[in-house]
Amino acid sequence: MREFIQFTLGGISFGMVYAAIALSLVLIWRGTRILNYSQGAMAMLTTYIAFTVIGHTGNYWAGFVVALAAGMVLGAVIERTVIRPVENKPPLNAVVVTIGLLVFLEGLAGIIYGGQYRSFPPAFSITGLRAGSVSLGISRNDVFVAGAVLAAALGLAVLFRYTSTGLRLRAAAFNAYAARLLGVRVGRVLTLGWALAGLIGALAGVLVSPATFLYPASMDSIFVLGFTAAVIGGLDSPVGAVVGGLILGVALNYVGGYLGSNLVPIFGLAALIVILMIRPSGLFSAGTSRQV
Amino acid sequence: MTDQPALAVEDVVAGYGGVLALRGVSLAVRPGTITAVLGANGAGKTTLLTTISGFVRPRQGRITLAGADLTRRRPEEIVRAGLAHVPEGQGVITELTVEENLRLGALWRHGHTGRAEALADAYRRFPLLAAARGRSAGTLSGGERQILVIARALMARPRVLLLDEPSLGLAPRIVAQVMSLIRRLRDETGLTVLLVEQNARSALGIADRGVVLNLGKVVAAEDAAVLAADVGLRQHYLGF
Repeated sequence: MREFIQFTLGGISFGMVYAAIALSLVLIWRGTRILNYSQGAMAMLTTYIAFTVIGHTGNYWAGFVVALAAGMVLGAVIERTVIRPVENKPPLNAVVVTIGLLVFLEGLAGIIYGGQYRSFPPAFSITGLRAGSVSLGISRNDVFVAGAVLAAALGLAVLFRYTSTGLRLRAAAFNAYAARLLGVRVGRVLTLGWALAGLIGALAGVLVSPATFLYPASMDSIFVLGFTAAVIGGLDSPVGAVVGGLILGVALNYVGGYLGSNLVPIFGLAALIVILMIRPSGLFSAGTSRQV
Repeated sequence: MTDQPALAVEDVVAGYGGVLALRGVSLAVRPGTITAVLGANGAGKTTLLTTISGFVRPRQGRITLAGADLTRRRPEEIVRAGLAHVPEGQGVITELTVEENLRLGALWRHGHTGRAEALADAYRRFPLLAAARGRSAGTLSGGERQILVIARALMARPRVLLLDEPSLGLAPRIVAQVMSLIRRLRDETGLTVLLVEQNARSALGIADRGVVLNLGKVVAAEDAAVLAADVGLRQHYLGF
């Protein structure tokens, strides 16, 4: 029973990282109907930027903030330059472009930083927390990870539901033509959507890199699992993204804990395949088909 | 007292790919009047409105709003010049609530207080929207949706309102209510309206002027009463 609690709590931390990636994917999917295959690579690049800043200044939080800002800028620039031309074209064009971007960003990181594994610092201590004499299976850093992603998700929810900017974002996503007729500058709104996705992705990157180490391909498997979480929750649903991430994180931790850690990647992919077979629209979605 | 038309279209040629939907259309709309644009399916009526609002680029010709040249500008700028366009099919955003649809219409024009005032005005004029304000717009009936999109377009206090087939899909009694609403808006607020309609009889009932399009050209432009009395023209182009 104690093991079960440890595995449950331990899975939440990684689960929240998957949730963050899933949230970025959902943001972009809802706004532009594009699946951003380069989301993980973008997060890897901004984490390298944080790494550089931390190296120069010795200050973790400086790196953290710069990574988030870089994520916003990177997302905005990518939308404006690379994605804008394919937004109204057949879906395959966007698939090719974002995969190409993934390859480009990983190659770029390799050129600038080299391929060796770097260690990236966590924000807080990673020693296990205890309740009295009982080890809980999570650390202070894990609590920070969960809290940060939750705060980001709540921040997004407030933005979307209660602000004019959020109203424009939603209107542009639901009916861009009607929104334009009402004077909404849909182009700018889409850029903002990508900037926000870049921000959340950057957050995921700095939160998970202490555990995965930082190298050009370090976000690849995180991206696949984040994508799986998004599919589980339904690509249209931000709530689904967070729930999907948690479910996946905790489930994979059970697999790792009870069955052995080498089975985790297989189970992750198996989860993706199963969900796509039995309920491809996800748990929280309305159930329409999509092409990606 | 200016004679300048609220909206003027001069020799506009426009189309899609190889097909020309407008082959040299000219019309002028006087401020505070309702002009009905009539004609059969495919005559170019909807293209006329989407060209005026900037979604289709004219290949030739000029479009001016109170003298300001809007030809080839983007929809966002045309809207900010004082034009509102309610499209065919209404364009209700069903995933948003009634209030959110209305607020969306006010965003570019007003700051916080202006938006609140515009919303209050809309609810005063359209009590049925006030009653439904928190509901998803998808739950409204066809007639209610038409009222919603007209109210939404008015939130930015436009000078000229383009209406594309507001009667489409509505029961005759509701059509009468919508037409009567449009007439009241002209009478009470001096709104200028360009009304595209297949239901020519209803449209001519409230219009000051009528313009008949056929195959992308204007074949008649008269006062509405004159048009309604011209039996030959009516039967030939308008079906009644």
